[in-house]
Amino acid sequence: MSASVVLSVQGLSKKFSRHLRTALWYGLLDIGSELWPRAKAAATGLRRHEFWSLQDVTFELRAGEALAILGTNGAGKSTLLKMLNGLMKPDAGRIQVRGRVGALIELGVGLDPTLSGRENIFVRAALLGFTRSQVLPLLPEIIAFTELGDAIEMPVQFYSSGMSARLAYAVAAHLNPDILLVDEVLAVGDFNFQRKCLNHMMGYLARGGSIILVSHAAHHVQAVCQRGLVLEKGRVAFQGGATEALDHYFAQQFGSGARSGPGRLTPTASRPAVIEGVTFTGPQGGPVEPDEEIRVQLTYNSLQALPGVAWSFLIYTNDGSICITGGYTTQALQLPAGRHTLHARILRCPLTAGDYLVRASIYDVNLIQPVAMLGWEDAPAQLSVQAPPSLEKNYQQIIRQLVTLEVEWTHLAAPQLT
Amino acid sequence: MQETIYTSASAVATPRAFLRDLRRDLRVILPVSRQLFVRNLKVQVRQSVLGYAWMLIPPIVVGLVWTFLGRARIVSQQELSVPYPVFVMAGVFLWQGFVEAVQCPLQQLTAVKATLAKVRVPHEAFLVAGMGVVVFNQVVRLLLLVLVLPLFGLTWSPTLLLVPVGVGALLLFGLALGWLLAPVGLLYTDLSNALAIALNLWFLVTPVVYTPPVHLASWLRLNPVAPLLATTRRWLLGEGLLPTLGFNYVLLGSGALLLVSWLVYRVARPHLIARM
Repeated sequence: MSASVVLSVQGLSKKFSRHLRTALWYGLLDIGSELWPRAKAAATGLRRHEFWSLQDVTFELRAGEALAILGTNGAGKSTLLKMLNGLMKPDAGRIQVRGRVGALIELGVGLDPTLSGRENIFVRAALLGFTRSQVLPLLPEIIAFTELGDAIEMPVQFYSSGMSARLAYAVAAHLNPDILLVDEVLAVGDFNFQRKCLNHMMGYLARGGSIILVSHAAHHVQAVCQRGLVLEKGRVAFQGGATEALDHYFAQQFGSGARSGPGRLTPTASRPAVIEGVTFTGPQGGPVEPDEEIRVQLTYNSLQALPGVAWSFLIYTNDGSICITGGYTTQALQLPAGRHTLHARILRCPLTAGDYLVRASIYDVNLIQPVAMLGWEDAPAQLSVQAPPSLEKNYQQIIRQLVTLEVEWTHLAAPQLT
Repeated sequence: MQETIYTSASAVATPRAFLRDLRRDLRVILPVSRQLFVRNLKVQVRQSVLGYAWMLIPPIVVGLVWTFLGRARIVSQQELSVPYPVFVMAGVFLWQGFVEAVQCPLQQLTAVKATLAKVRVPHEAFLVAGMGVVVFNQVVRLLLLVLVLPLFGLTWSPTLLLVPVGVGALLLFGLALGWLLAPVGLLYTDLSNALAIALNLWFLVTPVVYTPPVHLASWLRLNPVAPLLATTRRWLLGEGLLPTLGFNYVLLGSGALLLVSWLVYRVARPHLIARM
């Protein structure tokens, strides 16, 4: 383990049982095996009803670095964090931790409902190994961070989940661990709290701290993490930059249901018109590239003619949360019944290289009501913008730039006349 | 900067790492348990009208019931050198302390299961804090009893100074036993149900509210609580200095059992958390 590495995980595996009773029985057997180590060899493989929650996971974390752990529910993220925190033992592999680990896993846990917020600060800090005299100098800072005001003297049972989260985050974060494990805890807070926590994490990283962040919110990952690791059914499916990890994760999420070509939906009496798919190609039918022309094709299928309609396509970030740009028209069309393809051209692709999601609709121009939709209640289409390696591409990835502007650089302002 | 390594190796097979972890935890157990003890006391009274009176109400009620049964000659009594109500109260108060000590580990750990599953904290701190409350309650109960002894015509004997040793031995044995059972109790709820029944039966075969008949004395000697309780009650009521036969063996055995229970729990801990 080199000097800058604060956490090293090698070949980590953990198994669980699907059945509660079996899990309890195996628990007793495992305790017996630990007390009589010669019997241990019998329990290294999978037993009946068991599965690998984590298998052969290997990665490292350096000082001042933030690593995002991504994956669908049940991929093994929380299990991994619990093992890094020393709560559970590995069934195989090894974890080497340098320094003190602080964990933010389910923030409300451990707060006593009958005690006030102030009393809970001391109890919580004590649980994390800090004495009253160590906490007292930090108290004003912790209380200020919570922004709870007079509510700090109120019993915690009257707090909202967001208020409890503020209190717990403030305590854990101000005790300055060397490695901070954060498990999807920002979701309960309001935007102001999230912004505050993200700022805190950035400051913590700048001071040399290291973070492992489990989050489904792409903007949190992009704001904090330089690297990402995607878990798929307990195994490492991808490891690399945070943006690439997010691309991989969302491709995995939307990939199975995403549509880039026609031929999925069929119209029915209750839904007479459907959009089968939207495709994006370069001018020669090749891949889409930045600043080049894009050909758009939307294929619809309708049981009846659609008068007074128009169509649109909206391009989203690959987590589907932010609409970057789109194309729509208010010019009414008369679309014939049957299966047909609509065409459009984007004269210059404003997007940087990366993966995007596309939602499309055919809508009634006068009523501004959708007639057929794609990507809202079903999987959106995908758009991949490709660019050869370049300094500009690297820079765009570092600053997480999504679109480009056409800028004319004059550099030197014209002298002002007095 | 401290370095920690987690592997699948058995804690027993790597005693050096095991002892290093133990030493590290020991440093934080006392400060943490002090905070938790204060919290436990506050929580005990904050949502209650009668507050600390609940420490006294259950043993007083049991004591009064047995005193009534004794006076009404529903239970037979041997000749006692002290008034029967004081004999019963002393026995029941001491028994209550033992029962609370047995139940303490499982109750404390079950109550904070959610925390133990998600926060890395020395579990022993919850036990020490819980035992702090048990000791506090026991001290208050026995002080009250000592204060009312003159009302029953008894004087304060110098053997009262030995009572903390006897109470300590009773609580030590209770804690060691309860802690040994805790790993199984955290996995299977059957154990807490069975424990409640077992403690009720144990009460009946322990000379808490009666003196053992001569023909059963040798059998009752097999009960490890009997010498601890009988000796402590004798010291409390000034009935003699010498401990009952078996007291020293049970005291030593309790100390050894506590160490074994601790070792077993430390080894079981990660497996219990994985199932919480």
